[in-house]
Amino acid sequence: MRLVGRTVFAAALLLSWSASAEETSLTVPIIVPITGLLALEGTSQLNGANLAIAHAPPGLKIKAQTVDSGTAAEGGANALERAVGDKNVDFAVAPLFGTQVLAMLPVALENKMPILAPTGTGPVTEQGNPYMFRLYPHDAISKAAHIRYVVDELKLKRAAILYNTTGYGQSGFKYMSDYLSKLGGEVVFSEGVDLTAKEISATLAKLKAAKPDVILIQMHSASIAMVIKQLAAGGVQIPVVGNTTIAMPATAALLQPSDLKGVCAESAWWLEKGANPMTDRFLDDYTSKFGAMPDAYAIQQYDGLMMALTAVKSGARSAEDVRRYMSTSEYQGVAMSYKSDGKGNLAHSVVIVCYDGSSLTPKLVKRYDDVVAY
Amino acid sequence: MTQLLLNTLSLGAAYSLLAIGFVLVLNATGAVNLAHGSFVVVGGFLAASLGAMLKLPGAIVLPVVLSGMMLIGGLLSLAAYYPLRNRPAVSVFISTISMGAILETATLLVFGPSPRVGPPILSGGSLRVGDAVLNVQSLSTIVLAIALVALQYVIFSRTVLGKRLRAVAEDREMATALGVNVNVMILITFGISAALAGAAGLIFANTFYITPGDGEAYMIKTYVAATMGGWGSLRGAVAGAFLVAAFEVLVPSLPVILPWAVGALPSFGALFSPTASTIWLYLAFLVVLFFRPQGLFGEAVQQRA
Repeated sequence: MRLVGRTVFAAALLLSWSASAEETSLTVPIIVPITGLLALEGTSQLNGANLAIAHAPPGLKIKAQTVDSGTAAEGGANALERAVGDKNVDFAVAPLFGTQVLAMLPVALENKMPILAPTGTGPVTEQGNPYMFRLYPHDAISKAAHIRYVVDELKLKRAAILYNTTGYGQSGFKYMSDYLSKLGGEVVFSEGVDLTAKEISATLAKLKAAKPDVILIQMHSASIAMVIKQLAAGGVQIPVVGNTTIAMPATAALLQPSDLKGVCAESAWWLEKGANPMTDRFLDDYTSKFGAMPDAYAIQQYDGLMMALTAVKSGARSAEDVRRYMSTSEYQGVAMSYKSDGKGNLAHSVVIVCYDGSSLTPKLVKRYDDVVAY
Repeated sequence: MTQLLLNTLSLGAAYSLLAIGFVLVLNATGAVNLAHGSFVVVGGFLAASLGAMLKLPGAIVLPVVLSGMMLIGGLLSLAAYYPLRNRPAVSVFISTISMGAILETATLLVFGPSPRVGPPILSGGSLRVGDAVLNVQSLSTIVLAIALVALQYVIFSRTVLGKRLRAVAEDREMATALGVNVNVMILITFGISAALAGAAGLIFANTFYITPGDGEAYMIKTYVAATMGGWGSLRGAVAGAFLVAAFEVLVPSLPVILPWAVGALPSFGALFSPTASTIWLYLAFLVVLFFRPQGLFGEAVQQRA
C-alpha cells in the first residue's frame, strides 16, 4: 500500500514538474494612459491588451503589469525604464500617445526592448529604431486613404483642417495637407487646438468664414467630440471626415446620433460578426468582459499583443527573439494581416466609416488594403 | 458675430457662478479655497450621472446637484477649514489643495477616467433668428446663471440668514460679538459656494464634457477672474469672469471680426490664434496686477493667498 502511495506521489510530482517545465513565464508591462485627457483611448488600449492576455496561447504564464502613463511626455519613458529591470520582460505595450512613444524610443533602443504601440504618429517609426513596432497604420498610410476618400469619392477639394497640437495631431495635419495639395486640393483654413482647450467657437467662426467644402480632423477623442458637438450646435452643414477617434464607440457615446449625421472617419478596423470564428470570439469576449464594443485601439492592441505572444509561444526566449519575429513574420489578426515594412510599421489597411444620423454606430463605406503613401 | 457674443456671455455667465462662489468663501474666511475647481468636477459628474440615469434635462436635476454640492461644500469646510481656522491662512490654502486632490481622485475612482457628458439645461440644438444660429444651451446657461445669481442676491440682501452671512464676511469678530454663530455661517457659505460651482459643473459637463482632471483648469480661471475683477468683490468677480470669457472667445475671433486687419498685417491671424490668446489673457492679468493691484473693482490691496 505504501509502495502504491509513493508511486502515485512520484507520478504526481513528475507530472507537475513536466507541466511547469512546459510553461513559459513572462511579464508584460502594459504602459497606457488611463487617466487624463487620453483616458478614453487608453482604456480601450488596456482592454485590448487584457483580452489578448486572456486569449494567450496555451503554455504561457503571463503576469500583466499595468502602468498609467498619464499624458506627460515622459510618462511612458519613465515606466519603461522601470519595467525593463524585470528579467521576465521581453517586450512592452507602449501608449497610443505618439508624444510619449517618441520619448520611449531611446529607452527601448538602449535596453534592446521591443515596444508595441497602436499609434499613428508618423515620426515614431522614422527614427531608425528596430525595437519600435507600430500596430496602427502610419499616418502616411491612413491619411493617404483619408484624402483619397475625400477627393476621389466625395469630390471635395477645399478643406479646413482642425488638429490637436500634439504629435499625433500635427503628424496628421502634415500628411493631410501634403496629400491634398498633391491631388489638386487646397487647405483654406487650418488651426491647431490644444488638447486642454474647451471653448472653440472662435476657431469654428474662422473655419466658417473660410467657406471650406469639407472639414478634415485629426484629434484625440475628447477634442473631436467637442468639435463635432459644437459644429452641430452651430448648424454647420459642411461634411466632416475625421480620424479614427470619432469612430470609437466611447467617443460617439458622448454625442447624439443627430450630431454625427454625415460624419465620416478613417479607421483601421471594421469587424462584423460571422466573418470568422476568431473575430466572433474576440467580439463576444470583448463585449461581455468590458460591456462595450471594441474600437481601433482595442483591436489593434489585441492583435499586436497576440502577435508578440505568438512569438513567445513559437520559441522566442529573449527580447531579441521577439524583435526578430515581429520584424520578419506575418500575423493574421482579427482586424487585418500584420507584417513589418522594414521600419516597424505592421498595419497597412484602412477603412472609411460614416454615421447616418440615426444611430451611434457607423457603417463601412470603403475599404483600402495595402495602402501606400503618396 | 451674434453667436460669438452669445458664447462669450454664456461662458462668462458660467464662470461668474464659479467666481462668485470663490469670493464668498474668501470673504467669509479670509482664506483661498483651492478645492473650488474640484467642486466643478464633482458637480459635473453628479449631473452627468443623474442625467444618464434619469434621462432628464439639467434644469430638473439641478436641485439635486445643488443640494448634493451644498452638503459636499459643508463637509469640506468641516474637514479642511475648521480644524485649521486659527492657523495662518497658508494652512487652509494647503488643506484645500489636499481636499481638491481627494475629491478629484475619489471622482476618478467612482466614475472612472473617461469623459462624461451632462444633460443639456433644457434641450440641445439651436434656434435660427434671422441669419444667426443661436445655441439653446448657451441661451439656457445665461438664463440659469442670472437666476442663480439673483437667488444668491436675494438670500444675501433680503433674508436674516443673508444678513448674518454678510456680517461674517464683513467682520467675523464683530459678528461673533453680536451673537452670530460664525462657524455655522461659514459652513453655509462653503455650501453655497460649492452649489454655485456644482451648477457651473452641470453647465460645463454638457457644453464641454467633464473629466476628473478638469478641476485645475477651472480653478486657475476662477482665480484669474477673482483677481482681475477685484479681490473680495462680488461685482469684480463677475466682471473678471466675463473678461476671461472674452479672452477665450472674442480675442481669438478678432481675425473674423476685423478681416481688414488680416489683410493689413499677415501675422494678425497667428497673433490672435486660440493658443496666442492665452498669452494675451495672462499678459492682461499681469498688467492689472502691476497697475491696479486691487483689481478692476477692488477697493484695497489684500493678500492673495
